[in-house]
Amino acid sequence: MDLVLQLLATGLVVGSLYALCALGWGLIYGTTLHFHVAHGAVFALAAYYAFVGQKLLHLPLVVAVAGAVLAAAATGLLIDLLIYQQLEKRGAFRTSIFISSLGLLIVLENVLAIVFTPDPMRMDIGKLNTALIIGPVFLTYLHILTLCLAVVGYLLLMAFLKWSRWGQAIRAVSSNPEMARTVGVNLSKVHLLTYAVGSALAAPAGILVAMDVGAEPFRGTRFVLLASVAVIMGGIGSIPGAMLGGIFLGLLENLGIWKLPSEWQSAISFGVFLVFIVVRPRGFFGRTIHSAEI
Amino acid sequence: MTIEKVSKAFGGIQAVEECTFEVPRGLITGLIGPNGAGKTTVFNLITGFLRSDGGSIRYKGEELLGLHPHEVEARGVVRTFQHLRLWGKMTVLENVLLGCRTPLGENALTLFLRPGRVRAEEAAARERAMEVLRFFALADRAHELAEDLAYPEQKLLSMARIFATDAEILLLDEPTSGLDTESLHRIVPMVRRLVEHGKTVLLIEHNMELIAQLSDEVVFLHQGRVMARGAAERITRDPALTEIYFGA
Amino acid sequence: MAAYIAHYLVMVGIYTILAVSLNLLVGYAGIFSLAHAAVYGIGAYASALVALKLGFGFWGGLVVAAAAGACAAALVAIPSLRVAGDYYIVASFGLQVVILTVFMNWTDLTNGHAGLAGIPRPRLFGLVFDNPFKYVGLSLALAVLTYAICRRLTDSAFGRTLRAVREDEIAAQAMGKNVVLIKIVVTTISSALGALAGSLYAHYITYINPSSFTLDESIFITSLVILGGTERLAGPVVGAFILLAVPEALKFLAIPDTVAAPTRQILYGGLLILFMFVRPEGILGRGRAKSA
Repeated sequence: MDLVLQLLATGLVVGSLYALCALGWGLIYGTTLHFHVAHGAVFALAAYYAFVGQKLLHLPLVVAVAGAVLAAAATGLLIDLLIYQQLEKRGAFRTSIFISSLGLLIVLENVLAIVFTPDPMRMDIGKLNTALIIGPVFLTYLHILTLCLAVVGYLLLMAFLKWSRWGQAIRAVSSNPEMARTVGVNLSKVHLLTYAVGSALAAPAGILVAMDVGAEPFRGTRFVLLASVAVIMGGIGSIPGAMLGGIFLGLLENLGIWKLPSEWQSAISFGVFLVFIVVRPRGFFGRTIHSAEI
Repeated sequence: MTIEKVSKAFGGIQAVEECTFEVPRGLITGLIGPNGAGKTTVFNLITGFLRSDGGSIRYKGEELLGLHPHEVEARGVVRTFQHLRLWGKMTVLENVLLGCRTPLGENALTLFLRPGRVRAEEAAARERAMEVLRFFALADRAHELAEDLAYPEQKLLSMARIFATDAEILLLDEPTSGLDTESLHRIVPMVRRLVEHGKTVLLIEHNMELIAQLSDEVVFLHQGRVMARGAAERITRDPALTEIYFGA
Repeated sequence: MAAYIAHYLVMVGIYTILAVSLNLLVGYAGIFSLAHAAVYGIGAYASALVALKLGFGFWGGLVVAAAAGACAAALVAIPSLRVAGDYYIVASFGLQVVILTVFMNWTDLTNGHAGLAGIPRPRLFGLVFDNPFKYVGLSLALAVLTYAICRRLTDSAFGRTLRAVREDEIAAQAMGKNVVLIKIVVTTISSALGALAGSLYAHYITYINPSSFTLDESIFITSLVILGGTERLAGPVVGAFILLAVPEALKFLAIPDTVAAPTRQILYGGLLILFMFVRPEGILGRGRAKSA
């Protein structure tokens, strides 16, 4: 029983990380229909931005983290501006956008590997490392912070989408781009904003992981894969779905360890994903992207 | 073909409601109504691109609702699209060939195990495709890319390829939209000739005059409901309906 | 030197099989897969295992490999292709990750990181293919066979339907084509062929381990296809010739080993991006007309 509670707690923490990634990725995919795998590179870069901020520029942790989030948002925006939008201007198919995104993910990850080596780069997180023991469950303050940030991130995003003008523009483009364009919404700007916001959501996830176990160049690939699975399970176009999907995956992976060796974690998530799309392709809350949409 | 009480709602909007009418064999039936009346939705429902909320569509004793589009085609009901949806990067001939029956060539197993029969099938299909192209006066464009054709010819091509399928029921979605009067003179007789060849046509059309000329029977749709049906002459001259049509 | 060139040619042959079969999927059917390395690996392991544990020869191994590759692909394709192509990207990504996990962790079967050694060489009527020169013929023969199979598929009604599905699948459905079925079939065939390459590889090097079948490898095969061109089926051959020479070129530049691997990856990734801008159809493809 103790073990299960611990796994549940860890699952929630990991789930929070997946949720943050999924929220960002899902926002981007739902709005632009770009299969933005380079989101994984933004995730990884955010961690290194924070690392550089703290260890090389000697900034206080909070400043380094804030700076990293902003830098990550800018990175995501630049990716869309300089690559995807340019390709779209040349009439590229969606597959081409995906291939360029894949290329970008590879390039950025490997550049990081060359510059920083593949070894984890650790940060000083001081008090956050302090353990908190609730009954049989062992967590650090960092883990609690992770849970909180995921919830805060979710609420902020929902509020932004519901009440701010830009948020409403994003929702309009997400549900019907043609219509949005005819009522005068600037698609290009909305896309850029979506990338900035989406990347700003992935950044804390990357940074939190780095604060826990160190920044690594190739971790983003796994996270973006799981983010896309979470979004599909939660339902494309649904923000609550992405959140739920992320948490669900985190719980699934960790509870899976209870009975199966930990190396099989990914197999479990993937297996569940396959079953899911057979049984309920729409996900928990979303609309199915049928290849046939008239 | 009988369409009975077919309905479709999208979110809160009832696009089609309890729609009921018949498509008599060997005649041209026009489906008319103001914009947004649900005409294309009805086509989508018949051909399996949309799932109906209820009702039934029967053809030759079989139920068509619930089938996938390719299954509907196999049962003998085929459609064109308002936006044509031709395969622009493929040739005119290929567009029509895709309508011909080539089950052996499309099956990976028979493709490798029965090369002789596949070759024969393909040759027969090509013959048939060229015949169809000649019927539609497109034979000399056979090897051009579909996207390079002029618009009226593209319209003809979209009819040619469904004609090649041998389906009995042809659903034509606005076959004359966007055409100038001269081109109309090419298309309109083609539709008549289709029926002379034993086909049954259900067409969506906006031009009241054309409908009056072309159709034998007319179904008037408004806000998803069948307002009237009957002989073309009667419906198109009905002042109340004309008002709805132009007023809406 | 001659042995070295022979080795290079053998690898070109193997990668041609991989790239042409992937081109069938990505270029003709428009279905993007990240799992080709996994399929390659499945072929390699399947063939090696039946040889080591059941005493099958190379030829039996080929058949088993193709079957294994086909099954794995079908397992993933059937649920995900019923929905949209993007679901297949995720599913193939997942398949790649899971298969690699299996290779690394099902140690009873695969020996994990240590890999499988002592895989027997192919034999044909008493001739043993035990050096690169003899292997060149075998490798090239299989490459030509793969090409011929793919060619037969693309030049037929099947290929015509594939192109139609790729360009406008709704129109294809309206015209009676069972779109989902054809996608599943082409995915299965593409994977069966990719798995053949795995078998060829296993019996050539006689030793396999998981590190040859990672996501990086999938990316590499994808670069071959992109570089060589998706419009022509044979395009990837050019890609293979060029990209397989790259590691050697890098060695010339005396780049340290630790940096060599990421550098290669940067090159492949960079190529992917570059080609999307400059020439999406690759080197051999027809130039893209400016779309209206």
